[in-house]
Amino acid sequence: MSYSLNEVEATAKRAARGAGYSWGLAEEAGKATRWLCAQGLDGTGALARLLEKETIRSGERGPCPLSNGAYLSDSAHILKSDPMMLRQVECPLLLVPFAAYAARRLDTCVAITCDGAEIVTDGAVVSTSDALPNRADRVEIRPSGDLTSIAPQRSRATPNPGDWETLNRFAHRTYAPATEASRLLGAGAGLSDND
Amino acid sequence: MTPPAPHIARRDPAKVMRLSRLGSLHQCRLSFMRQLTRRMAEEAWVFSRPVFEIDDNGVGHAVYTACGPERAYSLVAFAHDLPPEQRSDRVIAEAWDATFTLFDGVPTSEDIARLSRNVPLQEAGRVSESELSLSRANRSVRLWTHVVDSLAAGKQPELEQIYKVGYLMRTTAVYGSGKFGAADREITADRSEVSGPFQIEMLSVYLTRIFVRDLVQHMANVKGNGQAAVLDPQIARWLGIGNSTGLGMAPFIVNHPILFNNWIMAREEAIARVRDIETASSDKVRKFLNIFDRSKLSTSWWRSDHPIQIEKLATLNADLKAISDYLEQDDLTQNQPWDRLVRWSENTLSEDGQELVVSLIMEPYPELVDGLASCMADSNTQAHLIDGAMTVKQVRSLIRESFDWALDVDWTNPQNCARAWYVSEEKLEPRLGERFEEPISDYEQPLAPARDAALACQQLASWQDNAPIAEFLLQHPEHRHTVRRAQMSCVAPYGEIRDNTISAVVLPIDMLRAKLSFFGATHFDPRSDRWVRICMYSGAPYPEELTPQTADLWVYPEAVE
Repeated sequence: MSYSLNEVEATAKRAARGAGYSWGLAEEAGKATRWLCAQGLDGTGALARLLEKETIRSGERGPCPLSNGAYLSDSAHILKSDPMMLRQVECPLLLVPFAAYAARRLDTCVAITCDGAEIVTDGAVVSTSDALPNRADRVEIRPSGDLTSIAPQRSRATPNPGDWETLNRFAHRTYAPATEASRLLGAGAGLSDND
Repeated sequence: MTPPAPHIARRDPAKVMRLSRLGSLHQCRLSFMRQLTRRMAEEAWVFSRPVFEIDDNGVGHAVYTACGPERAYSLVAFAHDLPPEQRSDRVIAEAWDATFTLFDGVPTSEDIARLSRNVPLQEAGRVSESELSLSRANRSVRLWTHVVDSLAAGKQPELEQIYKVGYLMRTTAVYGSGKFGAADREITADRSEVSGPFQIEMLSVYLTRIFVRDLVQHMANVKGNGQAAVLDPQIARWLGIGNSTGLGMAPFIVNHPILFNNWIMAREEAIARVRDIETASSDKVRKFLNIFDRSKLSTSWWRSDHPIQIEKLATLNADLKAISDYLEQDDLTQNQPWDRLVRWSENTLSEDGQELVVSLIMEPYPELVDGLASCMADSNTQAHLIDGAMTVKQVRSLIRESFDWALDVDWTNPQNCARAWYVSEEKLEPRLGERFEEPISDYEQPLAPARDAALACQQLASWQDNAPIAEFLLQHPEHRHTVRRAQMSCVAPYGEIRDNTISAVVLPIDMLRAKLSFFGATHFDPRSDRWVRICMYSGAPYPEELTPQTADLWVYPEAVE
């Protein structure tokens, strides 16, 4: 089934929040997943895998691509002096949207290399190149590279049904259980509308 | 031509963005319905009804197409037979009198077949990228019966009844922007005719009003068995479309600070431009006085049973009397007459009366005001990016700019945090609950920017002034959303509500009215502290009457001769 990018962003944000991320990082997760889907990349799959990994193996996890991605986006200027190096990263695809923000800020292409696979972005689009691994021993992000062939932009997303279900399962944790009191009081109605 | 920057400044956000004032806003020249009707008239849009297949029980579907200079949009309407006990305006309702979608273009019969399997289900169905909105409406039972019975008996309905209710059907949700599979806002954002805020939704409601007029006539014809009267166009004009709005709109204005800022700032800029005028011609003054009289007539039709609104209406009526007295003393032509009127109102009238005055003074000056409509959309796609190089000191200062008043509030006092906004698992209905009485705080949505700003400031206090905020956020991701909002306030000075949105005394209807006033709604009728009914398009010309002469001031009724 096809979903609007707005649905992808809203679901991804709620899912990240449901998995325990702060609201601010959940917002980043929503924007990042949407951006990936707009490039035709599997953002929903990457986020679903990350959230499952993080909840299963909390305590011994490697660097989080959302937290590190957000830092990269906030501090794009650090790339001017040194590349960003990370080890043992889950779902490194999720770093790409943040590298794209950095590319826009630095007005240059940025390359993300994961164990030999590479994606280049100028901030707006990505190169059609290697698929990034689900987990990378070594990630390097630096201003470099050229956009040789460009992935076409998409206006819809077609998530894998299993991944979409995973995201919705996490998102559901942010919804309060239905109770009669909440139904009556919480929305403030109660008067008859049959008038 | 861009007018020179006014010498009179825009009003201070600290004054404008208080909840009680936002809850007193009135429609104005920049309202979204009026933007749409002006455009449709100027561009001579063509309207048609290619399909009307409704049976004698009032069940079936119809298509209404609006054709602009470059594109067509079609309302696909489904009429249902709803048992009275299922008639609910709540999000959690599951059946309605009528359901709608706005189709991008002209639908084929295959499209209609697909939509007929989905649109009547609303949230439980799916629409596609070809659809731009999804909505539903319920009848006003009293007025519907009165109009059908009158017409069927060969008589016209009583105008008094129509003024009292204002509409035959009220929408209970109008979803746009990618909801339930519909096209994202980005798909249409570059089209001039719908690039302004909520133009798709306003078009959908405009077409819905035509459908409802046709449907009530159809039902009267069936019942009248050949004897039915045709609804008098003079009466039909006062039939608007109602809207029943719950808590969903309140989070919207908090969650879209840049967009909300753009609405408020455009209005504030318009007010400043008019106040800055040195002398007014007698023609401009005549226009103003005419609109003021018509506005009084409109207010006289405004009814509510809610104690808060009853009191506000009494005050507003007293304000109208005071304004009338002022206008007898002042001919408004000399010595910055509009600014003098505004300053007088600030010392004399309620916030409701003051906001009415500033809305009304724009009316004679389309040349200064209407162009600002193009600044009201949010096209800033980069606003969410955080500048991590900004120092802790700068961020503290930005937070103080919007939330100085909140930093000394005791946020542990139950009175100050009595409520929590949350989303129910029941159709994801947004709700507001009692934090200390219900198990909801684990589900709290980030809709208390003032409290969160105070918490962030406490944490920031122990950081070095010149530390980059990115370092702070790495250690404190829980304050990331607050820092983002603080940075947005650089470009959006009117983006933050300067009040406590979770206090024991917060009135969510204030937030609803703020948003609805920009739609152009009138006659706000709260049904509780978190639920309001309004009327849209009452007095507006139908397509056959729509001309540049009728397209703008319809919101102000004229006394029947």
